[in-house]
Amino acid sequence: MTAFILVRLVRAIAVLVFTVTLVFIVLRLSGDPAQQMLSDNAGPEALAAFNAKWGLDRSIPEQYLYYVANVLRGDFGVSFADGREVFTVVGERIPKTLIVTVSAFIVSMLIGIPAGILAAMRRESALDKGVMAGAVLGYSVPNFLLGLTFIFVFAVWLRVLPSSGSSTWNHAILPVATFALFNAAALARFMRSTLIDVLGQPYIAAARADGIPRWEIIFRHALPNAAIPMVTTLGFVAGGLLGGSALIEPVFAWPGLGSGFVNATNTGDLPVVQAMIVLFTVFMVAINLIVDVLYAVLNPKIRKH
Amino acid sequence: MSKLLTVRDLVVEVPARNIKILDGINFSLEAGQTLGLVGESGCGKSVTCYAVANMLPRGIVRSGGSVTFEPGGPSTRKPAVPKIAMIFQDPTSSLNPVHTIGYYLESALYRHQGLKGSDARMEAMRLLERVGIDRARSRLRAYPHQFSGGMNQRVMIAHALAAKPQLLIADEPTTALDVTMQAQILHLLEELKAETGMSLMIVSHDLGVIARLADRAAVMYCGKIVETASVAELLERPSHPYARALIDCMLSIDPDDLAPPVPIPGSVPLLDSLPEGCHFHPRCLRASGECSARFPAPANIGFAHEVSCYHPVAA
Repeated sequence: MTAFILVRLVRAIAVLVFTVTLVFIVLRLSGDPAQQMLSDNAGPEALAAFNAKWGLDRSIPEQYLYYVANVLRGDFGVSFADGREVFTVVGERIPKTLIVTVSAFIVSMLIGIPAGILAAMRRESALDKGVMAGAVLGYSVPNFLLGLTFIFVFAVWLRVLPSSGSSTWNHAILPVATFALFNAAALARFMRSTLIDVLGQPYIAAARADGIPRWEIIFRHALPNAAIPMVTTLGFVAGGLLGGSALIEPVFAWPGLGSGFVNATNTGDLPVVQAMIVLFTVFMVAINLIVDVLYAVLNPKIRKH
Repeated sequence: MSKLLTVRDLVVEVPARNIKILDGINFSLEAGQTLGLVGESGCGKSVTCYAVANMLPRGIVRSGGSVTFEPGGPSTRKPAVPKIAMIFQDPTSSLNPVHTIGYYLESALYRHQGLKGSDARMEAMRLLERVGIDRARSRLRAYPHQFSGGMNQRVMIAHALAAKPQLLIADEPTTALDVTMQAQILHLLEELKAETGMSLMIVSHDLGVIARLADRAAVMYCGKIVETASVAELLERPSHPYARALIDCMLSIDPDDLAPPVPIPGSVPLLDSLPEGCHFHPRCLRASGECSARFPAPANIGFAHEVSCYHPVAA
């Protein structure tokens, strides 16, 4: 088990180094930050001064080595936009994003997993059809459209919830609901099909033949098996939540990483964009690592090798 | 001997597709006796077992007849109080991959005998040793994927024994195993039957397996029993042309009898397009006009030997 985790860790670090390098090169080749940051009628001296100030006049390999050396010391540079430490700019947005994504993740599990289990247990019933119809609806409406609909209904029309900002807990309700409904739909569908698949396995028929009560078959025999593919899906959902924050947060003017990333990309704030991509990568790698470890914990076939 | 199980006019249907899987099955089984069900795939052998164990899959219902256990009236048995245990064709996929062998046996011992903790563990070890698995203590911590198919079938049998069954239903118990393992498992079943006095219902398409284990045999075709007799009688004097043909299909290793096996022409018809009359008549060399008109009533042609055929094969 320790060896298993160590191997995954080394792999995770390799992915991280690769991503940092790729992102660095692509961002340097995708446009001149000086022209993006300064006004259109800035003279050549101003551009040159900007490039010299931020070290952009050096060759790309040179810039890369500087960047990596600094990052290893925990220095992600300074924002082009307001001169603050990138570490601070990004850092203050992390909790905002985590509040929304983690709450949405938990809520979507609390809704989606029981709904999927019930639908699978009462297969073909009205309950099953209702849950699946809801899931298809929730799954096919685009995230941001759902968000806009919520704003219209709850903020503009009913005036019970704020539409934008993050100053109170009430502000988090709409973004969390938007995220959670979409992912609950995905989880319910997958939970249902996975559980139905497991319930069709011969070992479930054997357990029934042995007279094991129905609830025990579901919880002791079926769900531990269904949990294995489910963990993979939960990993996707968690990753999707982080990636989706770039879509959802701007809709609600929620000051997290997602809207920060969109702003920084629009203004060409390279150090911020870069740090955020690295941070997203760290999150994704961490999620994958957790999925791998859970997979081994849940699946004896992997654990024993 | 006392009767353990009586099945009368059992009809099992798939209502959604208006198909009869079993159509008027009759047989009985005495305590300590072994009944073999034989026939090609799709003739209803397994469904008969599931109907007897009262665990038909969803969408398949018993729509007529009775399954009666003695002592007592018509079966009101719920799966929760089994005197019936079952073992299956593919032992490895019949064991839950996330549970250890120990969990599997000990939970069954708790359910059926109320044994807990170290009592359950000791009994689980004894059962494993009884079915021929050595180093039982460490094997309790193993998972099914670490065992061979033959070992998993032994585990299934140990698990069945934990229920102290009066009737063990074995649905193609050796089909997925290689021949040496098959012989060992059959031998084990024979021993356990003698030891515990339980009855056995064994399903196989292999007459050799039936001949080895069963006292009586029932030949099934398209949801009906077409011939029943003692195994010796059936092998020596098969009367239904289908039973005869099944025996002719068997491979012989006797050097004096190297006649090639005679295949039965055609295949089992689909249940939604069964031929009228005797379902076997399109494949039967002896068929005549009346065979396609009405299903022949079972006739007694010897000691406990019944056949449903207008033109039985002469002995």
